[in-house]
Amino acid sequence: MDKPLFHFALAVLVAVLLPFFIRSGTLATEVLIFAIAAAGCNLLLGYTGLLSFGQGIFFGLGSYTLGLMLIHTSLPLLPTLVLAMVVGCVVAIIIGALSIRRQGVYFVMLTLAFAQLFYFLAYTFSDITGGDNGLIGIPRRGIGPLALDSSWSFYGFVAVIFLISFAALQRIATSTFGRTLLAIRYNGQRAQAIGFPIRVFKIAAFAVSGAVTGLAGALHALLIGIAPLSDIDYHMSESLLVMTIIGGTGNLFGSVLGAAFYLIVSDTLSAIWPRWLLLLGALLIVLALYIQKGIWGLIERGVGAVLGRRGGPDAMAPDTAGNERP
Amino acid sequence: MIYLFQLMNGIGLGMLYFLLAVGLSVIFGLLHFVNFAHGAFYLLGAYLCYALLQYGVGFWGALVLAAIIVAAIAAVVETGLLKRIYRLDHMYHIVATIGLALMIQEIVIIVWGPVGSSVPAPQALSGAIMLGNFIYPEYRLFVIGLTAVLAIVLWWVLEGTRLGAVVRAGSESTEMVSLLGYDINRINTAVFALGAGLAGLAGALAAPIRGVDPFMGVEALAVAFVVVVIGGMGSYTGALVAGLLVGIVQSLMTTIWPAGASLAIYIAMVLVVLVMPRGLLGRA
Repeated sequence: MDKPLFHFALAVLVAVLLPFFIRSGTLATEVLIFAIAAAGCNLLLGYTGLLSFGQGIFFGLGSYTLGLMLIHTSLPLLPTLVLAMVVGCVVAIIIGALSIRRQGVYFVMLTLAFAQLFYFLAYTFSDITGGDNGLIGIPRRGIGPLALDSSWSFYGFVAVIFLISFAALQRIATSTFGRTLLAIRYNGQRAQAIGFPIRVFKIAAFAVSGAVTGLAGALHALLIGIAPLSDIDYHMSESLLVMTIIGGTGNLFGSVLGAAFYLIVSDTLSAIWPRWLLLLGALLIVLALYIQKGIWGLIERGVGAVLGRRGGPDAMAPDTAGNERP
Repeated sequence: MIYLFQLMNGIGLGMLYFLLAVGLSVIFGLLHFVNFAHGAFYLLGAYLCYALLQYGVGFWGALVLAAIIVAAIAAVVETGLLKRIYRLDHMYHIVATIGLALMIQEIVIIVWGPVGSSVPAPQALSGAIMLGNFIYPEYRLFVIGLTAVLAIVLWWVLEGTRLGAVVRAGSESTEMVSLLGYDINRINTAVFALGAGLAGLAGALAAPIRGVDPFMGVEALAVAFVVVVIGGMGSYTGALVAGLLVGIVQSLMTTIWPAGASLAIYIAMVLVVLVMPRGLLGRA
């Protein structure tokens, strides 16, 4: 967090090295797409302390927006991506503004109920969304002379967007705005007492997170050529949260690790044993009890041990978990 | 007339939602613990009822046994695992119980397969009776009657007995309850088991109406949350009123606009939250 250049370099390293470790261009692309979405989730959860089950809404809306635009209009690709971000952002502002009227667990439940509301909206209005089947046959348009039809050329395109998003999110997280979000997370009452309009800040965090997640959703629909109902499902919200928490909250690069871990492990395990979710469940319990800072926390601890127990500033940050308790 | 029919269905459904949500609400009230595995206990109750019927246990036995087994499993899980999580942040409650719910769901699939099944209503209640001038299935009538009796018993337990007084006191101050000489750990376990057992019973009762499938837990969890959000967290009456409201809205919508029946309850929730952010009967 305090070494943005170093973390950005790590992100570049991941984007460059992934193709050497993963044979499937689709899986590699998926890792970067979900890394964007998980980083967007982290801005809410890790920086602002808002555990939102609504991330799937923005992801799904991004998918549908892009799908509808590419199927029904002749808009070029980039404007549709921007439109998906705008839709994600606007809906996130509305849901954020409504949800933060309640705090703690009530907030969590509200966002989950909103997630269900949007799922059933998509399910019910199947004329527009394709219902169970999803929006089928989304064309993958190129950008100007650049065709994106091979899986690795599309990977390159997504990698560029991933790096831009990562840099932008990191810029936001290290700015005064991001610091204020952290202050709200550590002690909301104090931040309010100092005079920060914490509601506005929380809604702004939602706006950014919604835009980024909408972008990721749009890329996902573009990748698989359909906007499936599962993109807006409750499980999407859950998976994004799980990736964020596995990676480590409060660190954007952690989200990249979390997304990579989740997707690669699920891809490998599900090929071996269809009931691998049983193992994921067990992992989540272990995570909650023993590895609360996720993979990034483990790495920091490991590096700290090697360097003679001098953890970085992140490792020294107080665990302020208890503050949100009512 | 069809509306009256659907109103009856809605009351039955609503009472099941109440059973489901009241446990979630009471567990939160006492333990300040968010239980994302609550839907999984409902799922387990439904499948245990299904399995016990298959083994030839009578319906009554299956109903009672399913609820008791779920409560016992919940007690073991609480003592062995969740107890250690209470002191952590809500985020970790949620992560751990999502993990637990995933494990239960996958175990259900391993044991009973990924495809759902239908569950027959008990022989004695499989008929239908004439109510005025429309026909109503006996089983659904029985569900309404049984859940109404349970609601009264539960209200009496929480409001009229010493245990209820301790539980309510515990939700205000666990320290004080401990100082008065009550073993708060045992009370926590008992309340958690009771809440899970009620969810299990709701699942078992719902099985003959909707059948069983491995993903019914997620659906139930979302509905329970809606009920709790509408009714107000920790409020017994809130859970009852909101459960009935959600059940009736969903049921009437099935007649008016079938595709939007599930959508309607979430719209109802958003409307309530817009007007009363704390829920209908929530405390500050």
